[in-house]
Amino acid sequence: MSYITLALAKGRTAKSSISLLKNIDIHFPGFHEESRKLVFYDKEEKIKLVFVKAVDVPTYVEKGAADIGIVGKDNILESQADVYEMLDLKLGKCKFVVAGKSQQLEEKQKLTIASKYPVIAIKHFQKKGQSIETVKLNGSVELAPLIGLADYIVDIVETGNTINENGLTIIEEIEDISTRLIVNKASFATKSENIRQFINSLKSGLE
Amino acid sequence: MPPYIVDTNNGTSVEDFQIREKLLAKLKKRFTTYGYKQIRTSTFEYYDMYSTVKGTVNKDDMIKVIDSSGKVLVLRPDVTIPITRMAAVSKQDSLRLFYVLDIFRQSIEQADTKENTQAGIEYFGENTSENNAEVLMLAIHTLKDLKLPNFKIEIGHAGFFKALIAEASLSQTEMDQLLALIQSKNIAEIELFLSELSINNDVKRAIQSIPMLYGNPTDVIRQAEEIILNEEMQLLLENLREVYEVLKNYGAEDSIVFNLGLINHMNYYSGIIFQGFADSVGKPVLMGGRYDNLGKQYGAAVPAIGFAFDVDLLLHALTRQEAFPDQAPSADMIIYYEKEKQKNALTTAFRLRSEGYQVLTFLTGTTNTIDSKSAIHYENNQNVLIHNNEKRTFTNFTELYENILQFGKGDM
Repeated sequence: MSYITLALAKGRTAKSSISLLKNIDIHFPGFHEESRKLVFYDKEEKIKLVFVKAVDVPTYVEKGAADIGIVGKDNILESQADVYEMLDLKLGKCKFVVAGKSQQLEEKQKLTIASKYPVIAIKHFQKKGQSIETVKLNGSVELAPLIGLADYIVDIVETGNTINENGLTIIEEIEDISTRLIVNKASFATKSENIRQFINSLKSGLE
Repeated sequence: MPPYIVDTNNGTSVEDFQIREKLLAKLKKRFTTYGYKQIRTSTFEYYDMYSTVKGTVNKDDMIKVIDSSGKVLVLRPDVTIPITRMAAVSKQDSLRLFYVLDIFRQSIEQADTKENTQAGIEYFGENTSENNAEVLMLAIHTLKDLKLPNFKIEIGHAGFFKALIAEASLSQTEMDQLLALIQSKNIAEIELFLSELSINNDVKRAIQSIPMLYGNPTDVIRQAEEIILNEEMQLLLENLREVYEVLKNYGAEDSIVFNLGLINHMNYYSGIIFQGFADSVGKPVLMGGRYDNLGKQYGAAVPAIGFAFDVDLLLHALTRQEAFPDQAPSADMIIYYEKEKQKNALTTAFRLRSEGYQVLTFLTGTTNTIDSKSAIHYENNQNVLIHNNEKRTFTNFTELYENILQFGKGDM
């Protein structure tokens, strides 16, 4: 029987995802977080795990390089990948927010927004009818308003501590984020049995 | 000069082109056996033809050109629309047409692929389960020809969801949101989304179950019966069931699954819709459906159903599975000749080519690396035919040709 390829996001949710899989009796014996290996097989050889950067998971799944993926909603939204999003694993819960130095948004013709997630920033402000310019940053986004690179930031927050410690306030909440199970549309058709079985057992593992 | 890379599209090398032609030949042959005739449409179309028709191609995606009188033209972004217009004007009944044409679209996400080859069919005929099933069977038959293992056709219905959603009055924004959620089978968020709307609980329950109405047709039909809310839904589901019955008589039930959560972004579809998936290709290799209302926009109601293969994706699928055998040698035979016998050699080449053989000619002593099934040598003192290390001499063309035919039989 052919195996399913599962793309798992490296980073903060990897460990909890692996233990979730353990709960439903899928073990990856060679796996530990410091390992340099990128491909693992489970004991029954039903699942091939590829360990990739979180932002790349939607791409792997959309292109069919992986049949299913476990990744944060933030990366799914940003990539706008055309995939099935079939389960909320309720791990790594956080929020997308707009934050800045002031308590509310300025009335300006055009706002400059710094973010790791420009697509999400553009979509959010488009809905409000506010035109913006985005500055794509890859980290320490909180710095941008402080040194005048941007008016506001769009970022994910878990507790809000980083935002507060840098003297910023959360102005708006955009959307709740958590880890999701995504599925390639072609794989869902061609490997329907295996994938649906996997989803169902994962679902029961969540309850 | 700066190094331009104009076309990053695959398939511009000689080998790729041969593979592509072979694939296209298979597709064309299969389309022909179901009674379809090939046509082409103009590369340039009027922008207005596409922009005024509701639910066709995204205006931003079209590649526009301006002609000398200032009219805006587009490079053919779709084939179905011009063919439908043609059929609406001609008012012929039961027209079966196929095409292999490039379509041109641009998008920010796919900036490097503006050109795409589609091979598709359009059948202008009544909406009956026999007609619908025949078109589906043609798609399945073609995929079988290509020997793609494990392909599946997902069948849904554009009208079924429309009839359901008519029970809930949603604003356009709400509708768009819901469609996106259903397309991604995002059940968790659909539940959340619906809980904030004030609609009837039966309707909510029905909408929620739509994404998972997927799989074995008999099961899906049984599950779908439980969420029927009005007569139209009942009728459409019955249509789907009839199509499935006909497909069973074709013996094609293994190749299909039902997916009532399938909502195509081309809004012109009015009835049954479907897409085909192959192993290890992330995107549908074929898409199609019934569009009975499109013709009305051109002044005549012409019921029609059609589909198109994405040729580039098919090629990708085939090369991934290495379903292509080794390349055939570039020539059937090579003739080597001494200058004195040039007339004999070239006459022979002409006659063999007339018989349909691939023939190359070289002066004796020319070095080349071309491989061929057999070689013919016109030497000063003798003429030799060599085939699989077996040598035969001959004096004239009749003798040569008899030998070639004999060897030919041995190869079979």
